[in-house]
Amino acid sequence: MDQLPNLGREQEMLSIMGLKSIDQLFSNIPDEVRRTEPLPLPPPQSEEEIWRDAQHLLGSNINLDSRPSFLSAGLSRNFVPTMVGMLATRGEFLTSYTPYQAEVSQGMLQAMWEFQTMISELVSLPISNVSMYDASTSAAEAITCAVRVHNKKATQKETIYISELVPPHRMSVIENYVQGAGINIQILKHDQNGHLDIDSASIANGSCAVYVEQPNSFGILDEGLLKLKELIGDNTALIVGVDAVSLGIVSPPGEWGADIVVGEGQPFGIGPTFGGPIYGIFACTDKYIRQMPGRIVGQTHDSNEKMAFTLTLSTREQHIRRHRATSNICSNETLIALMGAMHMSLLGPDGITVLSQRVAASTEVTKKALQSIKGVELVHPNSHNFRDFVIKLPGDSGEAVAFIDSKGVMAGLPLGQWWSEMSSCLLIGCDERTSESDISSLVSAIKEWIKEVEF
Amino acid sequence: MDKGGGILSDIFAFNGSSNAGWSQPKPILSFSQIKETVPKSMLRSIPPAWPRASEPELVRHYTWLSRRNFGIDTGFYPLGSCTMKHNPRVNERIVNLPGIDRMHPLQPEHQIQGILSIFFEMQEMLAICSGMDQVTLQPVAGAQGEFTAMRCIQEFHRERGEGHRNKVIVPDSAHGTNPASASMCGYEIIEIPSGKDGRIDLDALQSVVGDDTAAMMITNPSTLGVFEPEIAKASEIVHSAGGQMYYDGANFNAIIGKTDPGMMGFDAVHYNLHKTFSQPHGGGGPGSGPIGVKAHLAKYLPTPLASRRKLNDSDAEGVGDGFWYSWVTPEKTIGKVQQWHGNAGAVVRCWAFYRRYGRELERMSEHAVLNANYLRYKIMNPDPEVASNIHAMPLDGAPTDFVMHEFTLSMIQLKDKVGITGKDIAKRLLDYGVMAPTLYFPMIVPECLMIEPTETESKEVLDQFAKDFLNILTEDPEIVTTAPHTTDVGRVDEVWAARNLILRHPGNNTVQD
Repeated sequence: MDQLPNLGREQEMLSIMGLKSIDQLFSNIPDEVRRTEPLPLPPPQSEEEIWRDAQHLLGSNINLDSRPSFLSAGLSRNFVPTMVGMLATRGEFLTSYTPYQAEVSQGMLQAMWEFQTMISELVSLPISNVSMYDASTSAAEAITCAVRVHNKKATQKETIYISELVPPHRMSVIENYVQGAGINIQILKHDQNGHLDIDSASIANGSCAVYVEQPNSFGILDEGLLKLKELIGDNTALIVGVDAVSLGIVSPPGEWGADIVVGEGQPFGIGPTFGGPIYGIFACTDKYIRQMPGRIVGQTHDSNEKMAFTLTLSTREQHIRRHRATSNICSNETLIALMGAMHMSLLGPDGITVLSQRVAASTEVTKKALQSIKGVELVHPNSHNFRDFVIKLPGDSGEAVAFIDSKGVMAGLPLGQWWSEMSSCLLIGCDERTSESDISSLVSAIKEWIKEVEF
Repeated sequence: MDKGGGILSDIFAFNGSSNAGWSQPKPILSFSQIKETVPKSMLRSIPPAWPRASEPELVRHYTWLSRRNFGIDTGFYPLGSCTMKHNPRVNERIVNLPGIDRMHPLQPEHQIQGILSIFFEMQEMLAICSGMDQVTLQPVAGAQGEFTAMRCIQEFHRERGEGHRNKVIVPDSAHGTNPASASMCGYEIIEIPSGKDGRIDLDALQSVVGDDTAAMMITNPSTLGVFEPEIAKASEIVHSAGGQMYYDGANFNAIIGKTDPGMMGFDAVHYNLHKTFSQPHGGGGPGSGPIGVKAHLAKYLPTPLASRRKLNDSDAEGVGDGFWYSWVTPEKTIGKVQQWHGNAGAVVRCWAFYRRYGRELERMSEHAVLNANYLRYKIMNPDPEVASNIHAMPLDGAPTDFVMHEFTLSMIQLKDKVGITGKDIAKRLLDYGVMAPTLYFPMIVPECLMIEPTETESKEVLDQFAKDFLNILTEDPEIVTTAPHTTDVGRVDEVWAARNLILRHPGNNTVQD
């Protein structure tokens, strides 16, 4: 209640208007839809009481930093530089709306133009938008965008191909987003090594798009994908989902034929935040520019020929095109993208390389350590992995995770949650902060569990 | 570059030595071993050409940028339809707690009882305020909420064997996201004209409904800020044709505790937490767009929902309120619209905001409506001496005795008389240190300015705005039509931007002296 500057001055304001009560202002609401009972909610609280309750409730959660954790599955247990939160929450950024009035929004517009440049550099494609909601909606809207561009020439009309290893929650988002456009989803198979069955991939030639991930959801870097564009041809969009951090050491998809690159931006800028707010990366070649979703900032000049920035290509958007818009997106994740830009600029070209190396190193060391445990098998022993890899346990991995949790270690994601046939498999996620001591805690907890199940 | 700019202005001009940047721990393997982890043909050869800068340089760059940006904290922000209210700062402090910032959405239930209890409380609170039966917090923006609800409605019709219902009705004054969201679900859009007073034309509605009607999407109060008194009749017309009623909650700030979409006959509603419940807009997002539905649509909602039961003896202690919280999956769920559980950080901020009002949320809407009516009165009733100098008065966008939380003004008389457009007024207001109102929306009002002061502005701010606004109407048209004059840049050439499409920095080499 302390957010109302005019509390107690209602009568003064009403009398200026020649009114007696606030009720008069609501007199256009007919009685039959007028609420008469007060809301059955608790009484108002002060800031101090709210802070107390927040500390109590959120303090009862067990957070990833409080123990060794190998739970990743698409989000990163990153370290965000202190500068990022402090600068992004400056009120001028935090409390601004979409920069429709360019003359008083040059700060955010320029920061987003810089963000577009950094994403463009990262994935090696010329165009980036100002963010999507998350990696999944980016992938989904990349697909609908590609169908709009390619359907006319496609021999497999309204058809797209998706890797079978796209995780189920992302598949579900994609299905919801594409069904309205009548898009037919076909599945691309993978072999025993977790690699795309490249020999069969040319079946997608003539369709509107192919969506694959590099690394895939098992963390596997798949060399075969480098040949994919050649197989599917110019008139089928190659859409690649990336782990953004991997691109410090792994070649960017723009260099091996990707037409659209999407991915989760979260590792740059914000903690895992229980899954949101995070932001989706969306970058593409010139061909898609008039069909792509989301806000875009362009450079221009003002009436005095001074350099300036503004939102551009708005004629694609819902507020102008209404039901013919390329997407319904309006609010996006600009502030989180700003945090991402700050984080990326602080890393620089050398920092992203080191960050990427750190994740690769942790992945490799953890993999070697778990492989040496008797009873643990690597599911893809011949693969190159970044961040994630899969192990097979002698028993149900959900039970293993619960046991290991009781020893104070988060062991990863029981893959039975995603694919029921993988109920003995565990997805281990590593990150730049994984330490030797985290790894040895995981190793001893797994050993202990194996001892338990073997008796 | 301009004031204070210089070396601060171009981030890509920073190109220090490689060891000047931000430091981090070394990898736990040697470089040659790391190289082995990536197939040779896949190693990146050239790193991204990001800036190479130190923290001191970057803090100045971003502080410089922030000073070239206008937020609610900078000044009055009467952007209609966007509900730019003050954002309480404790909310930002709360989301920095590790119990939200360092949480993973796939953690087991016993590790997330606190956050689940906040989700549950928010679901319940939003259901109570809107007269709905079940709420999901998963959609991350209003537009995604619309899309999610239309998907649920689509599945509802399909399951009843009425999948042929393929048309969604929207008034011509609707937000652009309404038709865009329905269209993404595959629906055909039927736009119906509003009456002269901006209100719904029931005859027009009656003439378009039929056995192909899937739903109607409407906001109330309308985008003109007018409460639609015949809303219950509109619901009846749509329902008797077998369609569903969808409430766009963009204007929810006007009615909490006074009426609710359930009473008006709606089946589904989205809330803009970033409007009504103060999630900061952050230059365009993050938002949060939960939806609420009546019982017959609840089984289609996205998965999962927060639920609770009384604690058992075998349970761990929970959060101390006697309940155990868990995730549940609706029986015929449409699946996911966001990858995880929505914008949890926004949900927590808005929980903290709602707790400030609790059962007094009604006061918030009262003050939003009081402020809007007061400002409208002050603008439309200038002192005689001021009035005598005004080129032409604005016209009310909707002839109604009282508006709700916002109002529209048509500047058509001013344009006809002295050539000053709505856009000119908007740009000139920037010179007075306030944000411009929403411009040229809704489209049914010519030369429209849409003004929403929100409840967090004092009487003095409203008085000053009315004074400045009226003063602009007396100014030399030459000054107004060339505004703004005192901002960081002058009027920006948007056409040039769209023709030339310079969408990224050209790279380090071209910017160095």
